[in-house]
Amino acid sequence: MDETRRYRTAECDRFELELDAYMDGEVRPSVPGHLRECVFCKVVFEDLTALRTAARELPLEEPSPVVWANIRAQLSAEGAFAEKGGVWSWFWQLDFLRRPVPVAAFACMLALGCWLTAPQNNPQTKTTASLPTSAGEPTVVRSMVFLAGGEGLEKAVRELEKAFKAREATLAPDVKATYENSLSSLDASIRECNDSLQREPGNSLAHEYLFAAYSQKAEVLSSALEIDEGR
Amino acid sequence: MPFALGIFLCSLALPGIVLAAEGNRIEKTFEVAPNPRVTLSNTRGQILVRGWDKQQVHIVYSVISPRVEVDSDVIPASGPADKVHFSTHILDPLVSGKDQTADYSLDVPMGTDLEIRDTLGSVKIDKLQGDDATVETVGGSIVVSDFTGHLFVRSIGGNIDVIRAAGRVEAYSITGDLHFVSPTTSKLRATTTSGRILFEGDFPDGGDYSLSEYSGDMDIICPPSASFELNAKTDRGKLENEMPITIRHQPATPLSSANSLFGTHLSGKATVNLKSFSGTIRIRQR
Repeated sequence: MDETRRYRTAECDRFELELDAYMDGEVRPSVPGHLRECVFCKVVFEDLTALRTAARELPLEEPSPVVWANIRAQLSAEGAFAEKGGVWSWFWQLDFLRRPVPVAAFACMLALGCWLTAPQNNPQTKTTASLPTSAGEPTVVRSMVFLAGGEGLEKAVRELEKAFKAREATLAPDVKATYENSLSSLDASIRECNDSLQREPGNSLAHEYLFAAYSQKAEVLSSALEIDEGR
Repeated sequence: MPFALGIFLCSLALPGIVLAAEGNRIEKTFEVAPNPRVTLSNTRGQILVRGWDKQQVHIVYSVISPRVEVDSDVIPASGPADKVHFSTHILDPLVSGKDQTADYSLDVPMGTDLEIRDTLGSVKIDKLQGDDATVETVGGSIVVSDFTGHLFVRSIGGNIDVIRAAGRVEAYSITGDLHFVSPTTSKLRATTTSGRILFEGDFPDGGDYSLSEYSGDMDIICPPSASFELNAKTDRGKLENEMPITIRHQPATPLSSANSLFGTHLSGKATVNLKSFSGTIRIRQR
């Protein structure tokens, strides 16, 4: 073994090309052979092996909810979810379109439905549909979460709320009720924590719960936007 | 005579009813590799998962509506499967409510990596020595008993019951109640916002238990032999303790002694953190 060699050889280049595959368990006979001859490449190999071992032992850390909420809000702002839930994309994703008989039946039902509902499409219906509802207003929570370092989180939650309001009409009534119930519970805790912090800004428990409530709200809203109701 | 005619008509109708019920019940078995990954995605209906000693995944499912179907994806397509995925599909958007129901019963091998999502149905896992198990529901309840491994359960509005779990447990809900019975877990993390937490059992040596709720009450019922170091605090609620805790020096906190308790019971072998904002924390002896 030439321990004083400092210059790369053609074998070193080949070793480098084959190293990944070798470390992934593929058979590369030239790699162990080269390791016996080249101290430099042996050190590289040992370092990589040590890194791999250490990386395997590292705990899997879940990114902060702020990260997920920001990603979700950004995607939502870019229309990623609107596109997913769009009428035509939804229509073409239906599994039964692969089956001709249900397709024909569905087409007949659709035609019949259009014919039956057409006379009811009067201006009054449109007016009613466009009326703003109290439930349609996104909850604006003026909060002390800024003090808890969660400014980005609060902003992300507001964006998610807007997206949720746009989607909630498509949710089944009982699913929607569950989400609304939990959101109302979280809003109540956000209000109470804010009140506590107004009176007692140094209340660490209130800070902690406020931040937790925003994080949970981001998770609940994300869940509502991602929910797959089997369609 | 009319009675006899009734019996006769019933005898004709019964087999038809039984056959119809059987027609909705599908049973499948898959050969799987060691430590397979089994995932199930459902909308409504009950899911029951049990561990067994065969290297197979056995599934029995039934649907109410013919416009609801269950897909099975097996990877790889031939030979023992590494991954098996079941999902309920609503074929017709007009199917709603109870008609979307699909009930499942699964037997899975020990060491299975399990992932279940059931929007509004209840999920029950029984006697499973798993690798990782993740169960998420929106409104359905989750009951896990005799599970060993890493358990992650989350329900937005449903209650969660974890009975005799070993390994590591994480349980989260917003409005649901959390109930733990005789856990021997090394690590337990549990959080609910407005639900209640009820813990009944001992704290194993070296265990790290952290229970937090916002406005619901928390009850800890443990045996006199429980050895733990306690850190309990509530901001607006009350703290009621019946255990003979040796109080230790409290860290700097604005909370009064009525709202916080730091101390050791016996030799303090486990670590127990209890936290609430406006709920009452009660620590009682069994």
